[in-house]
Amino acid sequence: MDIKETLFALSNCDSVGNISNSADLCYALLSQYMPVKRLNNQSFVGFLKGDSDYTLMLDAHIDQIAMIVTDVDDKGFLTVQKSGGIDIRTLPARRVTVHGKEDITAVFCSTPPHLSSGEQKYEDISKIKLDTLLGNKAKEIISVGDYVTFQETAEELYGDKLCGRSFDNRAGAVTLLKVSEYLKDKALPFNVAFLFSDMEELGLRGAKTSTFNINPDEAIVIDVSFGNGIGINPEESGVLGKGGMIGISPSLNRLISKKLINLAKENKIPYQIEALGENTGTNADAISVIANGVKTCTLSIPLRNMHTDSEIISVSDIENISKILIEYILSGGVMND
Amino acid sequence: MTELIKTLTQIDGISGDENKVRGFIINEIKDYCEYKTDPLGNLLIFKKGKNKASKKLMLDAHMDEVGLIITSITSEGFLKFNTVGGIDTATLMFKKVRINGEISGVISGKPIHLLSKDEAKTLPKTNSLYIDIGAECKDEAEKLVSVGDSAVVCGGFEQIGDKILSKALDDRIGCAILIKLIKEYDTYDFCASFSVQEELGLRGAKTASFSLDPEYALVLEGTTAADISDVSDSETVCNLGEGPAISFMDKATVYNRDLYNLAINSEVLCQPKRAVTGGNNSGAIHLSREGIKTLAISVPCRYIHTNSSVADLRDCENAYKLAIFMMEKILSGETK
Repeated sequence: MDIKETLFALSNCDSVGNISNSADLCYALLSQYMPVKRLNNQSFVGFLKGDSDYTLMLDAHIDQIAMIVTDVDDKGFLTVQKSGGIDIRTLPARRVTVHGKEDITAVFCSTPPHLSSGEQKYEDISKIKLDTLLGNKAKEIISVGDYVTFQETAEELYGDKLCGRSFDNRAGAVTLLKVSEYLKDKALPFNVAFLFSDMEELGLRGAKTSTFNINPDEAIVIDVSFGNGIGINPEESGVLGKGGMIGISPSLNRLISKKLINLAKENKIPYQIEALGENTGTNADAISVIANGVKTCTLSIPLRNMHTDSEIISVSDIENISKILIEYILSGGVMND
Repeated sequence: MTELIKTLTQIDGISGDENKVRGFIINEIKDYCEYKTDPLGNLLIFKKGKNKASKKLMLDAHMDEVGLIITSITSEGFLKFNTVGGIDTATLMFKKVRINGEISGVISGKPIHLLSKDEAKTLPKTNSLYIDIGAECKDEAEKLVSVGDSAVVCGGFEQIGDKILSKALDDRIGCAILIKLIKEYDTYDFCASFSVQEELGLRGAKTASFSLDPEYALVLEGTTAADISDVSDSETVCNLGEGPAISFMDKATVYNRDLYNLAINSEVLCQPKRAVTGGNNSGAIHLSREGIKTLAISVPCRYIHTNSSVADLRDCENAYKLAIFMMEKILSGETK
């Protein structure tokens, strides 16, 4: 499986609410390697059987940030609300896709120069209207409740850097696919569940119900974390290309963190440590407290420009996370610790 | 005309770096007229018609677009930049850019999760933004990019009904209309300039109008249309689909009232520009030498100076028709 090609394919289509193209594609790709079953909403899980009843669950969320139409006016302008964390300052003159009766391109209004009053405040997304260019025909195609998604197409930057929309968390989904491709015929010490969960961006919702259904003994969440950049605190970010970020936090299981670090060291796989004083902001926060509780850790892909249509990752980080996960699974995780 | 506008918008040519645009235009018009490039880079045209004109008329469209210039490369391999021409910072953030017509990058900054409450409500200073091309250090970046290189915000061309959506509609629409006029209008002689550096303050048109030394000028432009939701009818300036906007006055020019009246009262669908805002090459041209009778014919553009400007093809067609109407009147000697 080619990481770049797969990520581009998953990034260039969407999965949110009633739009499931990316999740469907991911489902089909995972089904090549193992039996897959659908769970609540768009979540689904694939299982590889191992030599014990113990189950390790790997999670990557398959949903994305988006917007949702709350009004269509007679001139063809839409009012939208956020579905997930959107930086509304970045919307003016940005093109998006409105998933109406057909997919249409629309552009957010920018303030005309003669009406701009110097220091503008960006507090309310409903004040930034979305121009469909359809005039009074907009109402025939677009309804309240339709989803609006970014539309940048993924592309290569210099070296092994890739840029595109919804890399949060299609990059995680690709990592799981890479691991499942490698493990599909291997003898495993325990069961491995590959969960692709829905509605992370709305508050870790899909992981809650799916984890309850799967009932794992331990879990590792593969998501993205902040990549380095100008003005971004190095303590709050990972450097692109320096390996996956192994989470250590009061809410995470220390044994898993330690074992991931040791395996990375032993096998000379690049890694970084992401030490957090609080919860992780990922599905790990939800998964760890499901049912009787689940030993949980995070392994994160450094990503720049999070929650924009031009998120940037390094392919090598996905490769290196896949390698650590494979070593971890084949060595039995923390099943016997 | 649509194909021509599409092609022209996707050529990158910020102010001071219009070479590729000029090269394309020369190729289009070379069989139809005499041309030369002046020291600033203006493409000056003399088009011979079937009849000698009674008055000397210059047409103008500017070739340059707003964009970015790379000013330094950081140790991490990021590129710092200045804006060239007036660009709203909000329309730059996290946009894809193309450097020197080929290198891809992204205007980058802090993600929303790391912003304070105040930061999340206000725009950052433009000089805090930077371009990420994927390079991991200065040496890597310098293999691809040099200080002084030009960049544009990417904005592909799309047609949606009568509307077009693209970067650089200002003023490649004017260029497209002028190319079409050079190819198709041959009743009278006229001269023209595809001008440089309009966005830096009407610089190219200053020397072009001196060289061409006309008695009349018609400027083919794009202008702000604010016919968007939540803007009152009195503040829209002009509306898409209601024809080209004809200015009586803007921040740079008081237009010749006879030419204004002639245009506004013509059979061609057009509208007055209902505000005294902005400016265009008329500002330089109408003050050239002892003064030149000047009119601007502007195609209304929403979100002008962004990578997602919107115009109406019917307005482009009507701007072309109105230009021919005005050319006939001026060149035949009917105007005072």
